[in-house]
Amino acid sequence: MPQEFKRQYKEILKQYTERQTEHNLYEGQNFSRQLIQKNISPEEVISIHKASLEELMPDLPNDVSHSFDLLIEVMIRYGLALKEHQTLIKKQENFKMEMELASNVQQTLLKTKVPEMNDLDIGMISVPAKEMNGDYTHFLNDDTTVGIAVADVIGKGIPAALCMSMIKYGMDSLNGAKTEPVVVLDVINRIVEKSVSDSMFISMFYGTYDTSQSVFTYASAGHEPPLFYCAKSNSFTELQAKGLLLGVISNVKYEQHTITLEKDDFIVMMTDGVTECRSKDGFIDQNTVMDIIESVRDQSAQDMVEYVFHKLEELQEFEQRDDFTLVIFKKK
Amino acid sequence: MNISVELQKVDELHIKGLIGGEIDAFTAPMLREKLAELNLQKDLHVELNLTDVSYMDSTGLGVFVGFYKTVNAANGHMELTGLSSRLKRLFDITGLVEIMDIQATDKEVKIDETV
Amino acid sequence: MNLRSSVDIITEWDIVAARQLGRNEAKDVGFGTVDQARITTAISELARNIYLYAGKGKIEIRQITEGNLRGLLVIASDKGPGIPDVRKVMEDGYTTSGGLGAGLPGVKRLMDDFKIETVLGEGTTISATKLLR
Repeated sequence: MPQEFKRQYKEILKQYTERQTEHNLYEGQNFSRQLIQKNISPEEVISIHKASLEELMPDLPNDVSHSFDLLIEVMIRYGLALKEHQTLIKKQENFKMEMELASNVQQTLLKTKVPEMNDLDIGMISVPAKEMNGDYTHFLNDDTTVGIAVADVIGKGIPAALCMSMIKYGMDSLNGAKTEPVVVLDVINRIVEKSVSDSMFISMFYGTYDTSQSVFTYASAGHEPPLFYCAKSNSFTELQAKGLLLGVISNVKYEQHTITLEKDDFIVMMTDGVTECRSKDGFIDQNTVMDIIESVRDQSAQDMVEYVFHKLEELQEFEQRDDFTLVIFKKK
Repeated sequence: MNISVELQKVDELHIKGLIGGEIDAFTAPMLREKLAELNLQKDLHVELNLTDVSYMDSTGLGVFVGFYKTVNAANGHMELTGLSSRLKRLFDITGLVEIMDIQATDKEVKIDETV
Repeated sequence: MNLRSSVDIITEWDIVAARQLGRNEAKDVGFGTVDQARITTAISELARNIYLYAGKGKIEIRQITEGNLRGLLVIASDKGPGIPDVRKVMEDGYTTSGGLGAGLPGVKRLMDDFKIETVLGEGTTISATKLLR
């Protein structure tokens, strides 16, 4: 193969030494494309040049000829750097592919089905800002009760995704939907506290809705408080519940509260991707968010969450900075 | 997207810091690095003044939790001062206000809403 | 045929001596200019590693035959601290090479065959072969 290249190069060199035209230079440039494709290293190119020159000019002075040996020596490391660069690029491509694969695995692993309940209309939307979602939503349900976990892993990307598998594992170890919210948070806090690095932690809200009593029981581990909309008074209140973030210390006392829902009342659970929205005029405040939700209160829960997402997307000029999750429980 | 971090050694066991600007996913690593450079000897008292912090998100919160844990492990004490009401709310919601030494600003400061 | 000769590596100048020996042997086997430059670069790299990390050691050069191919075997040996994580030093982009295409991955690329034996606290022996094709 190098013999063939040498023949071609010698011809181009011959043309160019005879006539220094742009056309001949262009030929040379096209030739380099072939060389690169066939992985011919820089030192080999110089060696080809030297040999061709010596054949074309039998009277070439010896010192000129020797000078190419020095150049070959100098170019060896360029050749090595080029090869290293090529393997690193291949590696990077592999990483990227693995990343996409991981993101698919994450989506499959964390897939949760929005349950159909007799008494309750449920809407859910979760949109990641990057490839990997740092928000986590999970439903647990039986015939009469539905449990909902909304969590936000602080820190993004792969570490956050791995962290989330831990919550999933914790949730799977629970005994179904009727588990008390404080018990859920306590179990998961112990798992997370043992296994997570110092600057990574999780905020999580957990609630269960009992359709037979229309009662919502909830607890929070440092999570953004949900909004409760009362249809009768046409007003919003925050569902406050004290509790520390998961993963900071091992023994935490979580508060548990209950609230009874009447027809058309609803609860809006979210992550800080909703409350920390920023538009070019500053923060989008809570009242704006409430107004948006209220304007679509008569629609189905799913239509509501989708509308709120699009509206906030619009206000942020379609620049989503954080993972965004919104869940609505609305009593039918 | 700017942050300023000034750390000053008052005496052997006392460090005062002045943090200003925005603490988010882009600037948090720099803050974490600066804090990690501190020589955390036993019984150290670190006071960080956040009066000039105009914005902070959960990533910033992560930096302070991490630093709080490291300081505590060395038997030291971390104090955050000068928090605006918006910042204070973050520490309230997350329950961190219960375990950390956090001082909000005395006066109701006007928060600059323009970013 | 099993000609052998060696150079002790103690000072930086010995690196040049090792290169010279390598070049003479490579010429003798019949390697062209480019392969000579590759072999001497590999020898430089190995000798430099001995000089920098082990303090002293030896570069040995043997002419070999494998089947009907002639070639050169370079053996770099030292009684230095050994390499704690061989996989890491063989990785591209590892800090010691600084992405300059040098280091042990570079040696491996320049030669046809590459073997490394290392025992912590006892030393390292690296053998690299190049065959004339």
